[in-house]
Formats: sequence, C-alpha cells, structure tokens
Amino acid sequence: MLGITLAGLRAHRLRLLLTTVAIMLGVGFIAGTFVLTDTMQAGIDREFAGSAGKADLVALSPEFDGESQLAAGHLARVRALPGVADAQGLVRGEAALIGKDGKAHGAMPTLGLSVPAGRLLRYEFRQGRAPAAPNEAVLDEQTAEKTGFEPGATLRVLDHRGTVHTFALVGVADFGIDQGVAVQGAVGFDTATALRMTGEQSFHEIDIAAAEGAAGLHAAVAGAVGKEFEVLTGEELGERLARSAGADTRMIGVGLLMFGLVSLLVSALVIYNTFTILIAQRMRELALLRCVGASRRQVFGGVLVESAVVGLVGSLLGLALGYGLGVGLLALVGLMDTGLPTGAGGIALHPRTVVLGLAVGVVVTVLAALVPARTATRVAPVAALRSESEPGTGRFRLGRVRLALAVVFGAAGVAIGALGSLGMEKGESAMFVVAFGGVPAFLAVIMIMPLLVRPLSRAIGAVFARPAGMPGELAVENARRAPRRTATTTIALTVGVGLMSLFSVVAGSVEATTERQLAEQFPVDYQLGPQIGTDHLIPRALAAELRRKPELASVTEVREKPTKVDGTDFAVAAVSAAALGRQIRPEVEQGSLAALTGDTVAVHQTMAGHAGKRLGDEVKVRTARGVVQLEIVAILAGDLPLPPYLVSEADFDRHFGPLDDSSVYVVIKDGVPEPAARAVVDAAARPYPTVKVYSTVEFQEELGGAVNTLMLVFGGLLGLAIVIALFGIANTMTLSVVERTRESALLRALGLTRRQLRRMLTVEALIMGVIGALTGVVLGVVFGWASTNAISKNFVFAPPYLWIAGFVVLAGLAGMLAGVLPARRASRASIVESLAHE
Amino acid sequence: MTSPPTAPLRATETAVQASDVTKVYGSGDAAVHALRGVSVGFARGAFTAIMGPSGSGKSTLMHCLAGLDTVSGGRVTLGDTEITGLDDRRLTLLRRERVGFVFQAFNLLPTLTAEQNILLPLKLAGRAPDPRWRDHVIETVGLRDRLGHRPSELSGGQQQRVACARALVSRPEVIFADEPTGNLDSRSGAEVLGFLRSSVRELGQTIIMVTHDPVAASYADRVVFLRDGLTVAELRDPTPETVLDRLKRLEG
Repeated sequence: MLGITLAGLRAHRLRLLLTTVAIMLGVGFIAGTFVLTDTMQAGIDREFAGSAGKADLVALSPEFDGESQLAAGHLARVRALPGVADAQGLVRGEAALIGKDGKAHGAMPTLGLSVPAGRLLRYEFRQGRAPAAPNEAVLDEQTAEKTGFEPGATLRVLDHRGTVHTFALVGVADFGIDQGVAVQGAVGFDTATALRMTGEQSFHEIDIAAAEGAAGLHAAVAGAVGKEFEVLTGEELGERLARSAGADTRMIGVGLLMFGLVSLLVSALVIYNTFTILIAQRMRELALLRCVGASRRQVFGGVLVESAVVGLVGSLLGLALGYGLGVGLLALVGLMDTGLPTGAGGIALHPRTVVLGLAVGVVVTVLAALVPARTATRVAPVAALRSESEPGTGRFRLGRVRLALAVVFGAAGVAIGALGSLGMEKGESAMFVVAFGGVPAFLAVIMIMPLLVRPLSRAIGAVFARPAGMPGELAVENARRAPRRTATTTIALTVGVGLMSLFSVVAGSVEATTERQLAEQFPVDYQLGPQIGTDHLIPRALAAELRRKPELASVTEVREKPTKVDGTDFAVAAVSAAALGRQIRPEVEQGSLAALTGDTVAVHQTMAGHAGKRLGDEVKVRTARGVVQLEIVAILAGDLPLPPYLVSEADFDRHFGPLDDSSVYVVIKDGVPEPAARAVVDAAARPYPTVKVYSTVEFQEELGGAVNTLMLVFGGLLGLAIVIALFGIANTMTLSVVERTRESALLRALGLTRRQLRRMLTVEALIMGVIGALTGVVLGVVFGWASTNAISKNFVFAPPYLWIAGFVVLAGLAGMLAGVLPARRASRASIVESLAHE
Repeated sequence: MTSPPTAPLRATETAVQASDVTKVYGSGDAAVHALRGVSVGFARGAFTAIMGPSGSGKSTLMHCLAGLDTVSGGRVTLGDTEITGLDDRRLTLLRRERVGFVFQAFNLLPTLTAEQNILLPLKLAGRAPDPRWRDHVIETVGLRDRLGHRPSELSGGQQQRVACARALVSRPEVIFADEPTGNLDSRSGAEVLGFLRSSVRELGQTIIMVTHDPVAASYADRVVFLRDGLTVAELRDPTPETVLDRLKRLEG
C-alpha cells in the first residue's frame, strides 16, 4: 500500500506542490518566531552572565519607594566588613539632559546613573572612559547618537531642582540590557555627583567585590545591611535579570505565535480543500483499488500517509524558511529601540524548534486530511465501473445538523457580541467579550458559507464579470458550480482579511475618537508642559509672557496639586477662569461649571460613581490650611487629560497657595500663520529647558503615523495568512482546470479564444478572492463596530474606508494573480488532446 | 440572415477542400503518419460521412478540416479561406463564426441550461441570435419544453439534440459531427441522425460526419472511406448493406 501511495504522490506532485507551500509558510512563521526569541534570549543570558559576574555579592533595595532603602550608612557598614575588597552603591534616578536645541532631551527625562570606579565597573565603553571627576559625565550609546554629542562636548544637565549643571562628555557607554535606559536614555556620573544630580538619598543596589580567600561573606553582608534587604550572588542577580528581560522576549514570541496560529489555521483549510478535491477526482482510482481488494483501512491509511509525507516535506521546507524569517525579524527588531540583543552571538536554532516545527506541520496536515480520508473509505468498489460524474458539484443543501449548528453558533456570536457591545458597562472587558463573540460568529459563517457562495458569486459577478463578456458569465457559473469547494477556498481568505479589517476598524476608531475629543474639548494649538514623569512645573511668568504676545488669542494655565481627597491620594486641578468652558470644555453631565466658586468642586463621573457621591454631596480635601469640605456642583464626563477633581482658579490659590503651572495651552489668533506663532511660543519658552512645546497638529500627525505603523505591522503579520489563502485559490483553480480539461477544449472548439479562456479562469479566481475579502470585511467591520461600541459610549466609529477598500481590491487582484498560472496552463493545452482527456 | 434558406443553394460548390493533407505525430523513428496525403472535397449542402477502421486517420482528418488541429503538409480551404497557416486566434474566430460541432460525448457545458448551451457560440461571438431562426431550430429539435434544464437533467439523446441545435443556430458554413450517435441507443441515434439529415435536406446545411457505424453512415449522401491515412474509396447514396460490404472489402 505504501508503494501505491508514493506512486500516487509522484503522479500528483504538481497538485500537491501548492499544498506543500501552504504548510511551509505556516511552519516557517512559527519556526521563525522561535529562532527570533531563542536568539534574543541567548543574547540576554550571555550579556547578564558577563556583566553581573563582576560583583561577587549584591545587596538590593526594595523596588517600591515607600520601603526602607539602602543608604550611605549601609554602604559604610559593608565596606567595614573584613573580606570586602570593594563596595559601591549604585545610584539610579533622573537627570534630564538638555539637547542641542536647548530643550530637555526626549519625551521622558534621561536617567542619571552612577558609574562605579575600579573592578566593580560593569559597563563597557564604546568610546572614551568612565567619569573620574565631578565635572565629567558619560552618555549611553543611543542617546549619544540621537543628540549628536561626541566625547569632548560640553553637556548641560538639569539636577532634580531644575538647575543647569555643565559637564565634559568623556565617554559613551553600553549600559547593557536595561529597559529604563532603552526608553529614557542615561547620563552617567561618578557616585557622589549622581547622588547630587538626581537628588536620590539612597542606593538602588550595593555591589560588593570580595577579597581573595574571604569566607562567609554572604552572611556577613546580610547581617550588615539588615534583614529587610536581599543579598544575592552576582550570578544569581544575573539569572534574575535575564529572566525578567526574557519576559519581553517571551511577549514578542507569544504575540508572533498568535499570528503563526492564524497562518496554520489557514494552511489547514487549504490542505483540507486540496485533499477533498484530489480525492473527489480520484474516486475511480480509489474504487479500482477497492475492486482489486484494498480494504477501507488501507485506503484510509494510504490517504493519511500521503498527507503525512506532504506535511513532512512542507515542514522541512518551512524550517528552512523559518530560519531565514528569524534572521529577518531579528534585523527588524534591531531597528526598533527595544534594547534587546539581536543575534550578535549567532542565530539560535534549537532542537526544540526543529521537533516542534516538524510535529506541528505534520499533525496539522494529517488532521486536515482526516475528513477527506474518511470520505475516501466510503467509495464503493462499483464506482469504478460507473461513468464519471463531476465531483463536488450541484446545489448545496444545508444538512439539518449543519443548519442547527450554524444557527446555534450564529445566535451565540450575535448574543455575546450584543451583550458586550450594548449590554455591558463600557470598557475593556466588554471589548474582550465582543471579540470572544466573534469566534462562534465566524464558525457560523464557515458553516453557511457554501450557501452564500451562489448569491455572492452572482452579485460580485454582476459587478466584475459583466465587462468580461461571455467569459465572465461562464466564470460566474464556474464559481457557483461547486459551492463547498469555493466556500472552503474563500474562507481561508476571510480569516486573514477579517482580522485585518477588525484591527483597522479599531485602530481607525481610536484615532478618530482621540482627534474628536481633542478638537471638541481641547481646541488648542500648543500645549506646553514638562517631560512625562517629572514634577517640574512651569513658572507663571511664562504664561504671563505669552499673554502679552499679539499673535496669540488665548493662554490657558492648568495647575495641579497632588493631595488627599476623602483620605485617598488624588490630584486637584484648576484651570484659568477665563478658559473654562471656552478653551477647555469638559462635558458636564450634571450641574454647572458656572457654580464653581467658593468651596465647591467639579468631579469626574467615574470618581463620583466609585465613591457613591452625587450632586450636592461634599468631599473632604486636604489643603495647605487643613482639611476643607467642598460641595459638588458639577459632575463631568469625557476623557479630559485633567485630574478628576476640579476647583476654581481663585479657590485653588486659596487652598494650596500660588503654585506654578503644570501645563499651559495656547491658541493662535485667527490669521496668524502657524510658523510665526510657533516662533513666538518657542522664544517665550526658551529660558525654561524643562518646558517642552507640543503642537496639536504634530500630535495628530504622530497619532495618525502611529496608527498607520500599527496597520502595517498587522498587515505584514496577517499578510502571511492571506498569502497562504491565495495559494489555496491557486490550488483550487489548478485542480479545477485539470478537472475541466475537456470542457475547456469544448469551449475552445466552439470559438472561445485563448485569451477569453484565460479571462474566464482569471475572473473566476477574482470572484473567489472578492467573496473571501468581502465576507472578511463584513465580519471585521461588524465586530470592529461592536468592539469600539463596547469600549466607550463616546467612541467614534471610524472604519478607515481607504484601507478596507484596499483590502478588497488587493484581495481581488491577488486572487486574479493566483489564477494566472492555472489559466495559462489551461489556455496552452491542445484542443484535440484535451477533448480525448479522461 | 433574415430567413432560413428553403432549398440547397449552389449544391455543387465545395464547402471544404483538403489538398494533399499530411499529418505526422512525433518525429524520427517514433513518427506516426496519421494522414499520408489526403485530397478530398466536401460539397456544400451535402451530408458526407467519413468512415474507416480504427487508426485509419478519420478523426485526425476531421480535426484538420475543422481547424482544431494543424496539418503537417498540404492545404485545407473552408469556402474561399485557406485555414492552414492561420494563427490560433484566427482559427478560433473561424470556428466560432463559420463552423459548428457535434461531438460524441461531453458536448455541453454542465453549468449552462439547454438554451444557454444552444446560444453559446453566438454569445461568444457577441452576435444576437435571429429570434425566428432560433425558434425554428428549437422547434425542429423538439426541445421547447426542455430549454431551462441543465445537461444533467437531460437524456443522452436530448443532450445530442441540444448539441445539434447549438451547431445549427449560428448557421455555420459547415457542421462537423464526430461520432454523434456513438453513446446513444439505436432509437435516440436514429432520431439525431434523422434530424441531421433533414437539416441538410430542408435547411441546406453542410455536414461532415465521422462514424464507424454503417447505419449512421447510411443517412449521408456520400461516404468517404479512409485506410492507413489515405482515401481509398467512396460511395454515393449509401445503405447500411453497401457500406458494410465496402468496409468488409477494405478490411479483408
């Protein structure tokens, strides 16, 4: 039987080639993910093993600020221990580097780190050396590159009070794998300077180098620092850091594997379809095998062995592809500032990757071939003698079981979706419920798809086939003739396009919602504020200076004070009296902002809801003059970037004293050109390096850019599923063309030109592509709408029509492309030989 | 094309002419000479049968005459057009415009109804059918009540009648029929043959039919016999007996 199977495989190798490609792509993606994550993890392990080994022992401060921290006293006690050759306290805080433009560098302030001297120095220097004097500093590689500072330059760095200090840049360091450094950048000082600049009172950790032959040091150090501090060996710390850095790698891996699974699912659909068609076409051959004495089991086994061989070959090719893909992905990750190593130490191909890739590929292929293999066993031996009838054709009748299941799944999907979208409290959990509802809904669509194929083909044909004339009409009929086959072929495309539409709708809606909220509630042109995560304030003099500029229409100050409200940590804010309701327009749910005077407060509804407070109730706020009771006169809604408690400007000063501004909003006067206004604002802000100027237009552009980037990433990842689905279309077309050899010859004899025959087959492939894309878009948009509706009541539903139209057009074009080769093959066949084709 | 011709016109003219046609498959030692220099003319408005034992080249000759296959040597003219040397596109257009076909089996597209099948060549050519002629043809083949059926819902005889109607409806210069009754029982076969003959007698159609059945050949006005790729004999006004007699002598 094995011999017969292998002979069959050889005979059908062209038809199975496309199936092999499908499984190859799916396995390749998964293997590539493993190669990527393994390589990065290997790099992380190597790096930490190298750098952490330099310290023999390490005492750590707890991560949370509230607890007691390692301080100078601890360091002195450790240093005094016999057997300690050297001990250094590591400082980690913020010290904002001022860039060449005179503004603090980056969206967040740079870290200020201490660079220990001597044998405990664990950073490597790319250029120059470690700081050796209080007026010397070093930068991390990325920051040096972004700011353009080179050794020898003079750096200006802000201390924790906002005072500018100057340093000579003496080196560029590699601070190792450090998320904080990767995101914020870092300036390194000697330890004393680092303490002074960051304002830290304590050490992040104390590194200890043991003297030769010192014993029992671990216990001694633990005793010296006290029970509340953890003491580890350098190796232990290295392993721990490697593990936590590895979590990022694993996140990337899990995310990619999700997309890999989608690709595999699509591959499975393609394989299932291919085997179904192949077996339908080989009915007589299988029946003949049964006639000459093959048992059902042998026929079943034969088909499964065939699928296993295809799966194995595809998986082997997939592993090779995955290796290449992994290298490519590593290069891609290297382009982003993740701070993760990207394979400088060689690409990792674990045995686990090979085993798993092969297993997944073979198992998926064999599973997909199970149903067709069962069908093969039902072939009656007598079928060999019957005249051939075209397989897989005829009107599709929905079986009772299938109908019942479709109804159950459909109803469940709609019910879950509706519950999440309309019934639940708005929020992320509601959105996940909607997404969960998408699964049964999709299953229902899979089940009734064969029923949809005929009307959809006709409708799509009316648009696309009419210009193609008679070949187009024939193509529509061909797409309709085997509804199951067309359905399975197109469903594969529906998966990818559906997910892409869903993402695009959600992403587009997020963008539109943010823009609308900005425009409605924050109609400003510039926002002036400190870097993210700092508590620097803006001197009131800046707002006063801006108000004197004739180019500007309005200047709004926002002040905030973190305090206790009803005993809990919250911030209270005030907005310039003239601006409230004009430049800053919070949605007022109940009450009125006009009433906001004299020991009153406006509260955001989420906060009011949590505390069970209503209009007229009172909240207790701790102020500079003790706890005061404020009456709630307005309940606010919407997503303003303001603290949940708002008081009047006059009250704020009365409660907390004359504090500086936390942000300033500027509106340009009508008719003033934007660059001129920008110049005025920049000039006014120049004396304040910590004050950054953000333009709303820039922000919107950035947002739009971010959404587009996200779409491209998703597009790239899901694109693979779509490519596999296109191989499915090509596969189905190839098999159909073989099946219809005589029919094509008849058409050619009756006067169908080669070109018309090609057009006929291309249009058929186009119709399949568009059916798949359309159902995907409908599913994606409906569930995208339901998801956005579930997130928030104020969500703007804004499907990116251009993207979505693009999906359909691309799917159609790609479908046509998939039909090109089969069509060429068909049109080249000789009429006379084809007429005699069995 | 306003009305069907009522009598054979210019019956003595040649509709299709083969001159010294050769056809070789393969090359060198493996070469198979299917036609070795066939010269034969087919009269307009006549029903001609081509007969011969298997391997005599009768199907190859028909394929070459109809522009389905290319010749290795010699000339084929259809009307006043020499078709040997036409490119694929011109041949296709020629078949579409000027030739009709009835094959032994698999004559109809399974996806189209009987009526759509009948009108297929006209639609391919982008021509509108002459409604009176179409009705006349459909009436003649007796398929009025079967027009909406698909081939799978028709009997073998009905399918062949649809194929005949399709061949007739575009009023081609010549219809080629390749064993049109090969798959039919004798009663259905007789129906189809009678129909082909009446289309020649009454509508002035030209038909060239390949067959190995003496009864089928007896419906023709003239039988051309082929053996080993050459025309070896012909017979006018055949009967099944004379055809059988001639075949026996050829094979004996």
